[in-house]
Amino acid sequence: MQLPAQQVAVLEAASADDATSVDALAAATDLPPETVTGAVFELEDEELVAVTERVDETVSLTDEGREYATDGLPEVRLYEAALEAGAGDEPVQMGRVIGASGLEGPQVDIALSNYARKGYGSIDSGEITADPDAEPDADAEANALAELADADDAPVESIDVDTETLEELERRGLLERSESTVREVTLTDAAVTELMAGLETAETVGQVTPELLTSWAKQGFADHSSGQGPREDGEWEDVEFAEYNVEADAETVEGGNVHILRQMSERVKDVLVGMGFQEMDGPHADADFWINDCLFMPQDHPARTHWDRFALEQPTHIDELPEDLVERVERAHREGVGEDSEGYHSPWDEDFARALALRGHTTSLSTRYLSGTEIGEIEPPARFFSVEKAYRNDTLDATHLLEFYQIEGWVMAEDLSVRDLMGTFEEFYAQFGITDIQFKPHYNPYTEPSFELFGTHPTTGELIEIGNSGIFREEMLEPLGVECDVMAWGLALERLAMLTTGAEDIRDLHGTLADLEFLRNAEVTY
Amino acid sequence: MPTVDIDPDELRELTGNEETSDDDLIDDLFGLGLEFEGRTEDGEFELEFAPDRLDRLSVEGVARSLRYQYGDARGVHVPSPNAAEWTIEVDESAPDERPYVTGAVIRDVNLDEDALDSLIQLQEKLHATMGRKRAKGAIGIHDLTMLKGRDAVDDGTPSIKYVGVDPDGDRFVPLDSDAEMTPAQVLEDHQTGQTYADLVSGYDRYPAIYDDIGLFSFPPVINGRRTEVSTDSRDLFVEMTGTDQWTIDKMLNIVCYALSARGATIEDVTVEYADSEAANAASNGSRTQSGGRELVRPDLSTKTKTVAHDRIETILGIDLDPEEVLDLAERSGLEAEKTESDDGNLVYEVTVPPYRVDVLHPLDIIDDLGRAYGFNELEPTYPDVGTVGGRHERSRLERAVRTQLVGLGFEDLLNFHMINEEENYARLELSPDTDAYGAGEPATIKEPYSEDYTMLRTWVMPSLMTVLERNTHRSYPQHLSEIGFRAALDDSENTGVGESRHVGAVLASHDAGYEDAKARLQALARKFDVDLETPPTDHPAFISGRTAAVVIDGEAVGVIGEVHPTVLIEYDLEVPVAAFEFDLESLQ
Repeated sequence: MQLPAQQVAVLEAASADDATSVDALAAATDLPPETVTGAVFELEDEELVAVTERVDETVSLTDEGREYATDGLPEVRLYEAALEAGAGDEPVQMGRVIGASGLEGPQVDIALSNYARKGYGSIDSGEITADPDAEPDADAEANALAELADADDAPVESIDVDTETLEELERRGLLERSESTVREVTLTDAAVTELMAGLETAETVGQVTPELLTSWAKQGFADHSSGQGPREDGEWEDVEFAEYNVEADAETVEGGNVHILRQMSERVKDVLVGMGFQEMDGPHADADFWINDCLFMPQDHPARTHWDRFALEQPTHIDELPEDLVERVERAHREGVGEDSEGYHSPWDEDFARALALRGHTTSLSTRYLSGTEIGEIEPPARFFSVEKAYRNDTLDATHLLEFYQIEGWVMAEDLSVRDLMGTFEEFYAQFGITDIQFKPHYNPYTEPSFELFGTHPTTGELIEIGNSGIFREEMLEPLGVECDVMAWGLALERLAMLTTGAEDIRDLHGTLADLEFLRNAEVTY
Repeated sequence: MPTVDIDPDELRELTGNEETSDDDLIDDLFGLGLEFEGRTEDGEFELEFAPDRLDRLSVEGVARSLRYQYGDARGVHVPSPNAAEWTIEVDESAPDERPYVTGAVIRDVNLDEDALDSLIQLQEKLHATMGRKRAKGAIGIHDLTMLKGRDAVDDGTPSIKYVGVDPDGDRFVPLDSDAEMTPAQVLEDHQTGQTYADLVSGYDRYPAIYDDIGLFSFPPVINGRRTEVSTDSRDLFVEMTGTDQWTIDKMLNIVCYALSARGATIEDVTVEYADSEAANAASNGSRTQSGGRELVRPDLSTKTKTVAHDRIETILGIDLDPEEVLDLAERSGLEAEKTESDDGNLVYEVTVPPYRVDVLHPLDIIDDLGRAYGFNELEPTYPDVGTVGGRHERSRLERAVRTQLVGLGFEDLLNFHMINEEENYARLELSPDTDAYGAGEPATIKEPYSEDYTMLRTWVMPSLMTVLERNTHRSYPQHLSEIGFRAALDDSENTGVGESRHVGAVLASHDAGYEDAKARLQALARKFDVDLETPPTDHPAFISGRTAAVVIDGEAVGVIGEVHPTVLIEYDLEVPVAAFEFDLESLQ
């Protein structure tokens, strides 16, 4: 029979008549106890050994116990000092006795609390008496300490100390008990038979190593060059690979992750690029002209007051705006466009339009692109999008952020209808599992008709608002020089992410409150 | 979005549909774009409204719209006011900042508790919306019987007078008070006065309205107690002042329509401007008299818009029979008449009632027609136009760099762009005016939401360090990166703000060191085929002698080093941190 070396060693060291402990086998074979234990289990599986287990209780002194074994128990030392001071005859002042005893710090309290309990005397009003008849030599705890002083992990049965005293020592923290499992091994008949027949050692290998893989080369260059296939003669031919516990958990690996909100943004970009949309890019800090005036938002609109947006303190105004465009936008605000249009009855001031703010929506990118100032005139048909940050001076809570990612998209073509708008959005949201979109007629200053989009939550079935959309008004498009229809929609990326990931607090997703554990364990979206 | 409270019983009564259940009402209201948000303590519906149909800010207006929706009303209805008896004189002393006035007399109104509540709510909602918190237009409603008309006008008819007074020039007893006060004292001591003080405190002369007895109203702040309206009031004087004639005239129309729906009679008021400049700007239909101008109000004239049949069809995406368009218009409370444009196309002359403030363009009519048709009846179609999609170059570069960083084991982060100066500079031992990488003068926010967000970050490191600080209870190593937006003042930019992205990375672990950061930076440089050098430099956030400039293709674009223990302690970190940050563009 061929067995790995360790197993052979264990079989040879064990006996068929007497049980041998693993430790004894380890000593006999000069192998580490873990290796012997492993070999024993494998031999047990082969029915070559019988294994019995028992739990041994052992005791040993703690550091404090050891100290008292050498110096004496504090209460005994106190008693001896008290006798010395004459407390056997009349009460003596405590301070003097303690000074003489050499006890310090917590030992003083320990001595005092055990002194009376063990009948060494009494302590009253700062004075101490000692019972001259007390017998420190008969102190069971002191004697037990002496008994245990040299014993380390002594089996509890082998100690000549009564249970009560052991418990008291343990309570005082002077003694520790521990349990260990002792395995004892006996050879089976089968093993005896095999041993009689003779055992051969098979080499086992923990790991495939470069040495092992190149072992064929040691057999000589000539063999190799002769083309006789010497690689087949490598040492791996004769070894046995030690088995692993392939079911055990491995260590935790924290690889890098793309942020889950970014994954969502990438997914949205993929979908939109697939639908023929081109991406826009532009300034975060921009003139109100591009953010609001070009959108036909009246200057006295409530959303344009300073407390709803992040106006900049420094710098305050944009240097330059396209003069002719400013004129056309102002005219649209004041008079409307075309024959039958009237504009707003609101003030309009160029200085107000030049004021800088962090964009409250990324529609400022759309107005810049539509105006032709970014990439030149855009000819219909065209589709553009962005997934970029917008800033709102709103309340910061579980569903609102001061900064969020807005998905913005628009389609430019001749004669677009609200049906085209509905079809485009249905297609987009279907990519995220949101179907049955409902269109609630709505009002925006810059679109007409306008719709709020509602969709069914893929898991809860709830009807939720998923976006805002519409056909850009002529008062917005004409000054920008656009002569055909443009339909547009917007949506917060975080809302889409919360819907698809089930995240309940938007702040987990975005910002410096980020919990690394949440990000490391977040489910991948695709 | 703003809300309006509507009593469902009143709504049933005013629509004449007593049988409608609450649930059906809620559905019908959703059809109007009024979303049911819940009930008030008194069981009224709380409805969210979009701020276009301001004629629906009270139960009377909502009932009117429902009657059109039910088909119980069709077309345009305009009340016929009685001839004017009263005049509002606008004195030359009236404040230039708030020159415009309008008004109407309302007779035989039956003001029970509900009607009075509704009127007060309508007034408040109009103030909040069209009135721009009373800055653009403010409404005063008075008990007419408490007014004594002056005989200042030549023909001896009664009048009131809109004037400007010195802030302490006269006294009256304001609402919710027992004491006589001057306008200035009202702004100082009266609660409502304090709320609206900002509107007039900059004026030389404060707006005031007088009758024969004296000062009775201090618009846009507060009325006098003498003319306070109660459930006993039968006849009302409604006056409005503001910065735009059209706006207050429209607000007046909405109030007149609401009271008319309660059975009241409207009576015209003559507005006589002494100052011809204001008057000229004020109106189209007025006549001159002794250098001034006269208007008759309320202006309940309708307007017409010409809407092309073609445009209706292309916007809605359906073919419509002209008769159907006429029907849809009537059901929307409009009246359409078929006609031909100059170039022979079918168009409609659509009459718009005087309470509509939202119709600025023919498109707005098409929206009404679409709502009457039912937008959700339309079949979605995918627009059949081909376009080529693609990503912006910067966005592609960002994605490529992020992919590399994640491959190198970094946790990709996404932090706020707003920060405060303490976080951005001081905690990292930096000051704005140095030329250390990451410094720079900040773009600052005028009205920050909180002290935590007062500026745009000038670099990414502060955000990454904060994330390390908040995650000391999580396992190490923590390798974090961000390709992040940052900004600083830059005169060469049109906006004055230089915006760009930085690639920032921190490596925190018990044995993190310079070489770990450098190894990863080298890997990036290799993958983007750029030439990387790291000559020694100094940076206040990093340990001297273990800090280098990131020089890519010969240009200094960043910093790399071991974070200084002073900084680590500041962030409560008990492990070393190696870091780098550089301009994303340098990899382009």
